Amino acid sequence: MSKRVMVVDDSRLVRVQLEDILAGTDYEIAAYCRSGEDAIARYAEVNPDLVTMDIIMQGMDGLDASEIILREHPDARIVVVSSLAYDDTFERAKAIGAKGFVDKPFHQEQLLKVFGEALS
Amino acid sequence: MNTAMTKEELAKVLDQAVQDVTECTAGVRLHQDEQLPGEDLCTVQITFDKGFRTSLTLCADTGLLQRMACNSFHEESVSPEDLEEFSKEYFNVLCGRIAGAMYKATQVPAHFGPPMFYKGRYEPEGEVQFVLTYSDELNGGAQLIHHVPCSGEDGDGPDEV
Repeated sequence: MSKRVMVVDDSRLVRVQLEDILAGTDYEIAAYCRSGEDAIARYAEVNPDLVTMDIIMQGMDGLDASEIILREHPDARIVVVSSLAYDDTFERAKAIGAKGFVDKPFHQEQLLKVFGEALS
Repeated sequence: MNTAMTKEELAKVLDQAVQDVTECTAGVRLHQDEQLPGEDLCTVQITFDKGFRTSLTLCADTGLLQRMACNSFHEESVSPEDLEEFSKEYFNVLCGRIAGAMYKATQVPAHFGPPMFYKGRYEPEGEVQFVLTYSDELNGGAQLIHHVPCSGEDGDGPDEV
């Protein structure tokens, strides 16, 4: 059975890239959210196996949104994706409870490896 | 802490990022050459406002950016709005890759503002440090221009690169 992924990103480019990369894999995209606020509002309804969370978005940033989702849903599995991968960002993502970190632009092998680790 | 990069080091970082990100996001292989872009141009520009006092500008043939956008969005044609959206997102990812590579080299975290898109050629005020010129296999041209903004224009870092 496919693992359901909720994508939180305001970029259409990322959305198309993820569709391409996940086509034919064990993952399916269950929902798109274009903001952290949208992700918080829809998490319970979508109930995904995994969330990909961009950091820099309009409104609430992805790390703050992740923190709130994990407070409300401690079992949530969130992989943070960003084009800005600094040590402090990575450390904060880990401290919040994110299960992984992926740089943009995506490479399929790297993405699937991080997804697998996040779900293990 | 090493906060300085030579122009040659920075040019190498920029070139690697341009080639990797363009192929990965848009399926287009760019190589450096002497061919200048034509007259139908679009420009996308980002200013680094923390870490490095730098502005990066990509000035490209509209046809090249359209082809990249079509590849990325899997569309046969793109609207002007799609073209602007793609150009901003592509350049945002490119600058993120560049900032990450600069961080690895200098341990200085950089931050940049949102990308600005212009029809035609636009160059911000400031001193041009260098220009990298590219074309693809269909002779679409692009230039990546590295400026240092005018003194006092921005930046809280020491870090002219």
